[in-house]
Amino acid sequence: MTIKPQDIATLVELFEASNWDELHVQLDGMHIFLSTDPNARLASTPAPTAAPQVFATTQPAVAATPPAAAKASAPAVSSGDVPANWAAVTAPNLGTFYRAPKPGAAPFVEIGQMVDADTEICLLEVMKLFTAVRAGVKGTVRRICVNDADMVEFGQTLFYVEPA
Amino acid sequence: MAIKRLFVANRGEIAVRILRTAKKLGIETVLGVSAADRETLGAEMADRAVVLGPAQSSRSYLDVNLVVHAAKATGCDALHPGYGFLSEKPILAKTCEDAGIIFVGPRPDTIEAMGDKLSARAIASDAGVQTVPGTDHIATIEDAKAAATKLGFPVVMKASAGGGGRGMFKAATAEELEASFERASREAEAAFGDGRLYMERFVERARHVEVQIVGDGEGNVVHFGERDCTVQRRYQKLIEEAPASAVPDHVRKRLHEAAVKLTSYAKYRNAGTVEFLYDVDRVDFYFIEVNSRIQVEHPVSEEITGEDLIALQLRVAAGEGLGIRQDQIRMAGHAIEVRVNAEDPFNGFSPAPGRVTAWSPPSGEGVRLDTHARQGYLVPPFYDSMIGKLIVRGKDRDEAIARLLKAIAGFTLEGPRTTLPLAAYIAAHPDFRDNRITTRWLEDKGLPGFGH
Repeated sequence: MTIKPQDIATLVELFEASNWDELHVQLDGMHIFLSTDPNARLASTPAPTAAPQVFATTQPAVAATPPAAAKASAPAVSSGDVPANWAAVTAPNLGTFYRAPKPGAAPFVEIGQMVDADTEICLLEVMKLFTAVRAGVKGTVRRICVNDADMVEFGQTLFYVEPA
Repeated sequence: MAIKRLFVANRGEIAVRILRTAKKLGIETVLGVSAADRETLGAEMADRAVVLGPAQSSRSYLDVNLVVHAAKATGCDALHPGYGFLSEKPILAKTCEDAGIIFVGPRPDTIEAMGDKLSARAIASDAGVQTVPGTDHIATIEDAKAAATKLGFPVVMKASAGGGGRGMFKAATAEELEASFERASREAEAAFGDGRLYMERFVERARHVEVQIVGDGEGNVVHFGERDCTVQRRYQKLIEEAPASAVPDHVRKRLHEAAVKLTSYAKYRNAGTVEFLYDVDRVDFYFIEVNSRIQVEHPVSEEITGEDLIALQLRVAAGEGLGIRQDQIRMAGHAIEVRVNAEDPFNGFSPAPGRVTAWSPPSGEGVRLDTHARQGYLVPPFYDSMIGKLIVRGKDRDEAIARLLKAIAGFTLEGPRTTLPLAAYIAAHPDFRDNRITTRWLEDKGLPGFGH
């Protein structure tokens, strides 16, 4: 079965109309998590799977060349030149950046960690909807460019990964 | 509660227009842009510009959650939707409200009620404002034929959820009605997800007139006179003016009263436009719809009243009331606006995006240009084609027309082809000068004579 963005929107509407605190939906390898608590995260990180995750970016997460940061964006952590072979993992849309699946939990990735193309490396939140962003390339995380809970803009570099 | 930081959820000239007033009022501004609009005038003018998403509108300007999230995350306490995009989606107003952000516009339920033409007509009729003689929903061709006989041909069928001329057709005979009925319903279903149709008497010679109002949400409404937007192509306005000189004074007064009566009855909040069809032969008018947003053509009303409608929108949104009485709103002179679209009027109005290679706008007494364009600006292919609005004011209509022609002649704009030559042709046309045009004039008579 295919889940359309419209289905998700309907689900969110139903959720908002209800008095539930959280909603988990799991089907066909997809996992949807809704919560009234902006700080809530998935209780357990879903097992890594090749199945598409709802809200995962439909765009390649890796840009051929790192796009110019928007005038207003201020990468909080990144500094210095980046080797030409490093791949930038960029934000698929504006949102709030979270490094961990829930507050207090271990971050999805740390510097030096090996990732596969489909490894989830952070969450982007838009009005309580959390989207997992995948590395998009196999390699080693070399730089984390954004502070946890900062707003990021579309195209902003979140991580640099040195391709394996 | 004064607005401290305003999020502008739009692009192009209206974003620039809103930013200009916000800056003048000392309000901080954040503009949400798509990746295609990073380097625009608006992005430079705003205190901060944030990139929402890619060029594609559905993933940037049309994404309600994205827009409101951006407003919240950047610490804005109010959001101005401009026109088009999400401006008349009740869900935007609702989402803002729920997020504790002031929506600069009507309440969500008002937008909802005005957005559906049949419900808007019901409100008008409850308020005692005359609508075009017509019907409720029509489900079958038999009902349609019976209704048409009662109303008298020609009639026009319209989609209940429609707008901008889509899902509409005219029938002069029962055979024509039969031929188009099914298709219109299917088209309405496809275009709006709602196949319901209704029927109206067709006004043979019509002008489009509309009244600019601003309400405080408590039932107090002031108007800023009327506009005439009769020069249209496929229901898209090309030239707008104020006042509507073709309407006699006693009718104009009734027009204003009707607009105020309707919006006062609806306890309308913020700026809106009440549109009427003016029947040239019967010297009468019928309510069409309410546009629950600031409109493209608001500058002509500003020019004849000297008021800043965006400033008033922000004032009302902040809960400070209208702050102006009807007797303080004076109207003088005549103003005309032409839309400068990046379309080729010599070639079926095909879109003409591209880079502005030469740019020298006109200036002089009574000339105003609302635009986001400038030398080197790239008109992107992703959005509507309007690159600006040229507005002129004169002591009367003749002087305004003279100034318009002079301004167009003095407007250097190279790169994309634009509708400016067509505007000059219309402004110089005897039918326009004598003000004897109707809503069908441009397509029936104006355009066939253009370019020859």
